[in-house]
Order: sequence, then C-alpha cells, then structure tokens
Amino acid sequence: MTGIDGLKSARRDAGLLESERGLAAKPGRKATWGRRAVLRILAGLVALAGATTLPGAALAAGHKSLRIAIAAEIGGLDLLQNVSPLHTYSLVFEPLIRYGENGKLEPALATGWTVSEDGKTLSFELREGVTFSDGTPFDAGAAKWNLERWMGKDDFSWIGVSDAMASIATTGSHSLAIHLEREVPVALLELTIVRPVRFLSPRAVDADGNQAAPIGTGPWVITENTNAGTTLMPNASYWGEKPAVDKIELKVVPDELSRSNGLRAGDLDIIGGEWVAALSPRRARALDQAEGTSAATAPGTAAVLMTFSPKSETLNDATVREAVALSVDRNSIVQIIYEGFADPTANVFPASIPDGGKEQPIVPRDVDAARQKLEAAGWTASGDGWSKDGSTLAVELMVSEEALPGSRRLAELIHGQLTETGFEVRVSSVDSATIHDRRQEFTYDLTFMGTYGAPYDPHGTIANLLLSSVDSGPDGKIFMHPDLDPIIEAGLAAPGKDREAGMQAIYDWLSENSAVVPLVVPQRLWAHNDRVGNFSIPATAYDMPVEGVVVNE
Amino acid sequence: MVPLLARRAGFALAMILAASGLAFAAISAAPGNVAALIAERIAGPAATAELIEKVAEDLGLNDPLPVRYGNWLRDAATGDFGVSLRSGKPIAQEFSERLPITATLLAWGGAMALLISLPVGLAGAVSNGGIADRVLRPVSLVAASAPNFFVAALLVLLFSVALGWLSAFGGGSVASWIMPGLSVALFPGAVLSRVVRVNLQDAMSQPFATTGMAKGLSRPGVLLGEALPNVAVPYLTTFGAQFTLMIIGSIIVETVFALKGIGAFFIEVIRFRDFIGMQAVLLLFIAFSVFVNLTVDIVCMLVDPRLRRSRDA
Repeated sequence: MTGIDGLKSARRDAGLLESERGLAAKPGRKATWGRRAVLRILAGLVALAGATTLPGAALAAGHKSLRIAIAAEIGGLDLLQNVSPLHTYSLVFEPLIRYGENGKLEPALATGWTVSEDGKTLSFELREGVTFSDGTPFDAGAAKWNLERWMGKDDFSWIGVSDAMASIATTGSHSLAIHLEREVPVALLELTIVRPVRFLSPRAVDADGNQAAPIGTGPWVITENTNAGTTLMPNASYWGEKPAVDKIELKVVPDELSRSNGLRAGDLDIIGGEWVAALSPRRARALDQAEGTSAATAPGTAAVLMTFSPKSETLNDATVREAVALSVDRNSIVQIIYEGFADPTANVFPASIPDGGKEQPIVPRDVDAARQKLEAAGWTASGDGWSKDGSTLAVELMVSEEALPGSRRLAELIHGQLTETGFEVRVSSVDSATIHDRRQEFTYDLTFMGTYGAPYDPHGTIANLLLSSVDSGPDGKIFMHPDLDPIIEAGLAAPGKDREAGMQAIYDWLSENSAVVPLVVPQRLWAHNDRVGNFSIPATAYDMPVEGVVVNE
Repeated sequence: MVPLLARRAGFALAMILAASGLAFAAISAAPGNVAALIAERIAGPAATAELIEKVAEDLGLNDPLPVRYGNWLRDAATGDFGVSLRSGKPIAQEFSERLPITATLLAWGGAMALLISLPVGLAGAVSNGGIADRVLRPVSLVAASAPNFFVAALLVLLFSVALGWLSAFGGGSVASWIMPGLSVALFPGAVLSRVVRVNLQDAMSQPFATTGMAKGLSRPGVLLGEALPNVAVPYLTTFGAQFTLMIIGSIIVETVFALKGIGAFFIEVIRFRDFIGMQAVLLLFIAFSVFVNLTVDIVCMLVDPRLRRSRDA
C-alpha cells in the first residue's frame, strides 16, 4: 500500500471520502473544504460528542444500574489479608451471624445457634440450600474448612474466639460446633465482623491455599474489577431476597469534591460512608439543599475522643484533666465542625453499642469551674495563663487530618476553648505516618482518637486501646493506668449477667479519673440522587447501603 | 551530530542519577516511621513492635542510605521498581496499567495547548494593539494565573453540573477527555500564546520584515511567511518546559477527574506513605522531564541549523 492508498484508506474509515466524492460529483463545484463541509464536520463532531458523553443519566436509563463512589479500589477482597477496604466484602461474602441494628444478632448462614452453659461450645445450625456463586454447596464441611483457615492462627489472635479455639467439629451435614478452651463472652459478636470470618468457596483457592478469587454466598458476584472500579451482578443462586437493581458499579473517585460533583451531575447515584468514600458534614449539608440530591443520616457507632498521653507530666494529674474536660464545649463542636451532623456525648461508646455503658450526663462547659480545678491542682494564675513550680501550663495537641478528617479544624476550636481557661496550647498538625509513630511513643499531651465502631466494639477498643498489656502498635492508647488493667480484664472476661456490671466498672473508672474526654458521636453520612429510592443506611459503617434499594427510571 | 547526541544523552543520564538520588534522600528523610504504618496496614489491630521491626528489616529500612539507594537503583535499572506498599502490585504493573491514561491526558493537553496558543498568539500579533490584542492579553494572563484544580472544578461545575453536557469523570468516551485535557492545557496554552505573540512582535521589528513589507507584502503575509518560522525555536523550547510541567498538572487533574493514571497514583502513594511507589514515580517524572528536554533540544537543532553549527563547534 502506498502512502496515498494508506491515506485514502484512513479517510474512508473516517467517512470523509464519500463526502468528498459527493462534493466533487457536482459539475462546476470545486472539491474543497467549503463552509458547508466544515459545518457538516462540526455537526458530526457534536453528534459524536453527544453519543459518547452523558454517561450519567442518559446511559443509566434503561437498565437499573446503581453507581456508588468508593475512595479506593477494592483489590482482591482476600479474607485473610488486611489489604482490601472492608465495605465490599458484605456484597459478596456472608457470615454465620449478621450484626443488626443496635448489635442485635441476626441469622445469616446460620439459622440458629446455642452457647453451652459453660460458654465453651458454640453450636450452629447452618442454612440449607445455600451454594457459593461458583456452584459449590455450602455445608458443614465447607464451613469447617473456612473456620480452620483462620481460627487458632497467630495472625488472628486478636479475635478472642480464635485465640480460645480448641477444635471445630461437624455434627451433621449442616451443623457444626466450635469448642473453646475458655469462655469468650463476645464470641458470637466476633463472628459478625467483616474479615476473616466470612465464608469463601473452598474451590476459590490456589494450590497453596491462598484465596484465588472472591467467591462467596452473598447477593452479588464480581464480574469486573480494575483499579478504576468494580462491577457486580446479582448472584443468580442467592438464597435470600433478590436485589431490585440489575447491576452495581463501584467507581473509584478519590476526591470528595469530585464525588459530590459526580452525584450532582448524575454520574453517580450514591456517595458517602465513613469507610467507603467519606462525606464531610459541610458537603452533606450542601447536597441536602441542592436540587436532585438528598443527604441521609444514621446515628454513629463510633465516638470521637480527646485523649491524654499517659506520659504527659502536665496531664498526669486527674484534676488538670478534669479542667480540660470542663473547658470543652461539645455543642459548639457539633454545630461548627459537624454542621449539626453529630451528637454530643460523655460516653466512650454510643448508645447503640451493646454493653456500651449507662448514659453519662454531659457536663456543660464551665470555664470558672475549670479554673477552680487548676487552682485545686496547685496551679497559680499568672497573667493570661497558669504556672506551677516555675513551669507554665502548656500542652501540645497533636492532630492529623489524614488520620481523622476534620481534626485540624476541631483542634483549632479546642485550642480556643482551652486558651480561655488559661492553657497554653500548641497545635501540631502532622501527617499520618508521624501520628502513628508518635502515638506509640506518647510524645504528645493531647490528641484525638476514634473508637472502632460496630461490630468491633466495645471489646475491640477496650482491649486494644486501653489495656496496657496489649501491644496496640501504631494505634497507640486512649489511656493506660495500672489500676485500670485489672478492671478491664475482669470486665472483658465477665460472662452472662455479670458482664454488664463488669463493663460498667470500666466506664465508671474512666469517668471518675477523667481519663478521656468523649466529645461527639458523628452521624453516618450518605447522599444520593433522586434515582435512588428506598435508601437505608446499614447497621455498621463497614457495609454498603444497597439492601432494598430501588432505582427509579 | 552523533557525538553531540551522545554527549547530550550522557548528560541526561547524569541528570537522572543526580535527581533520583536527591529524591531518594528526601523521601528517606521524611518524618514518621513508615514501618509502623505498614505494619498497621498488614496486621490491623495485631500490629506489634516486633512486627514493625520485622517490616523495617525486610524492607531494608535499617540499612545505610547509600546502600539502600544503590540496591534500589540496581533493581530499577532492570525494570524492577519493587512492589507497591499501597496496592500490593509490582510497580511495573502499576505503570503499565496507568501510563496509557497519563499518556492520553498529556496528548490531549499538548494538542490543546498547541491549538490554543498558535491562533491566540497569531491573532494578537496580527491585531497588534487592536481590540483582539487588547482582549486576548488579559485573558491569557488570567488563564496563566488560574491553578489547574480551580480550572478543573469550574469546568465540571459548568459543563457537568449546570449544563449536563459532559461527564464529570474522564477516561471513558472521547468527549470525556475534553475537560481533563483543557485543564492541563490552559496554563501552557496561555503561556505559549504569549511566547508566540512576543516573539512575532520581535521578529516583525527585524530588517527582513521591513524589507518584506517594503516589497509590498501584507503584514499578515510577512507574519505567517517570514516571521513565524523564527518563533519555532523559542516556541519549542517553551513547549518542552510546559509539557514537562503538564505531568505535574496531571497529579491534580487525574485526581479531580477520577483518572487512574500516574499522577493519581503519585497522590495515592504519598497519602499511604508508600515510599517504594513514591521513589518509582519520581524517577519516572525525572526521566520524563529529561527526555522531553533532550527531545526538544534535538528538534530545535534540526529546525535551526545555526544551533546545530554552534553546538557542534
């Protein structure tokens, strides 16, 4: 093919040769790029643009596809690796027991369960007629194989029921029992968490036993998975209620403003979720007021706490910590930082967390009372501040916007409130790596931390972030004290009726010693457009809000 | 010509080595214990001091800096950039998946910058103090002053949210590249239009232009026929510098338009403190920058024989 032939071929492909021929065929007409030809090409380009744009509302019409923003790609959804974000597991994988509203245990792959009187045997009746999406039947053998992949393994010793596991036995084709070396009061609750407890098809592993594909029994099956997004189709063999939408498209959109614009432009249907693609209170308020989009809220399951370094000399005194607590105005935090999308709290755990303790009264901000506490602690007013033994009352408030979004503004607000009492406050804004580093070294005075939230609480936060004998690594500690450890150990081990009192003893100690300043419980925020109907927020922040959702055409 | 090219290539290689060494040292000096962060990501609540130490040892973080740099450079030279701590994938795989996205964005940006700068610069020069010149000058100034994240947000608000003409995200249809391309092209387009305008004006004050007009050629005729070729070298040089800067612009633009290119990857690895990913991306940026400048130098020498002769000498 000569160069000219090649050019002709390319132009024929582009549809240009025919138009040239048409123009040249007319006698007396010059075969050049006239005004009309240019206009035709422009019209063609506009038509091409029209055909290839508007993927939002226009292309979504005709099929019930639900488009949800996620902040990062989902990866391989490995059940034993801490790599993938937690939110997509529930679409594909199911547990034996599901975490319902306020921690109510609901049947999932187990239709019933019993705990022996000594608490050392957990017996499960498994749901019959369930298959994995690859056709493998879910039975006692498949369940046992799954549980043995992680129970009793060192990597999962942080899960009590795994650490205490003695043996697993099938007791029928659809029943099994887990025998424990000791009673684990939260054993059933632990079986509701996302990873590693959910069930994988025994055929979805490679020769080394590593997960090769995300094949579960859940309502959705992954059909496409790239770093730009994930497509899920309904699992045809799902045992439960069939989804009302034909397809879920998870679109990776790391930037919050882009997610918001995508929702308003009709390119996305649902955005939000603390662990999915966080929506800031300010943006949620704006979307709620915008035409065609609405914000949806649900009470939070995790609290934001202001915590004291166990190594802070200044804050080692409980009376000074009390002065800090009295200086803080939670209502202003709710209104200014959270735009009203939070609830003030004096409890470490929200009311929705089982065994989260009795509701503590919120002591209103009282600067005079705070100053009296400082005087009682031996500090002397000196100008605008306080001094004692030649030292000024100065504290460092360490925050990381990456570790806790919004914490920089929260720190500025707290800075103002503590300064009014006379504290000299220095706000250190650091990156995520630095805060993880400094948290374990306790090289700060004050910082913000969050509880883990449902279904990991209260035992998760208490054991990991309050018990000094547990190495929490880069998570640091909410507080540590030798007197607190035995109270925690007794509370966490307390079975049955004694549990409530045992756990309450922990909360009472924290409160009496002003060991932590619970600030607010941020509400869980989502936003959706008008295509989405029957929207409801699931029980935990680790689940996708797709159950029962309909798409209006 | 060949010895000159060899000399330039050697200089480019030395630049890459020096710049990558500096980048490696800067990333290593960043505060925070990366091993602790990685341990937390690996083990979640089970991350312990022992695990953190093991991570540091496995990744060679306890070795002296020159040793670490040497090891890294040796592997990078064979195309092994390591495994991303963020995604768990080999960096080479990340690059192969993401480079086409960034290359497409830069191609759109380069083409749009060209399409913006030449007509705007020419129109200003032809007008020469007229209405078009007086209007285009402040417009170029504004365009050259607007940061690309701001331009991108405005474009999305106008064409996606308000008018609903274009998708708020890029990377799908042909039309979905218009806004990302324009976002990276606007700044270089405005700068280049000023280069065209100013250099044309300069060329028009040269004796050859006066001679041309004395011979009866029109001003636009002299501009296009005689003066424009003289703009080629400064235009290409500035285009090279601006094209290099476009990859920096892609970092923000890819994030805004949810494009999974190298720029977005850079943001992700920074947020994650994935120092292996950061070093690899920075090496890529450095190599790209050096390559573009080398190419521009060569093209300029091919275009302008005076440069070739002076540098050969």
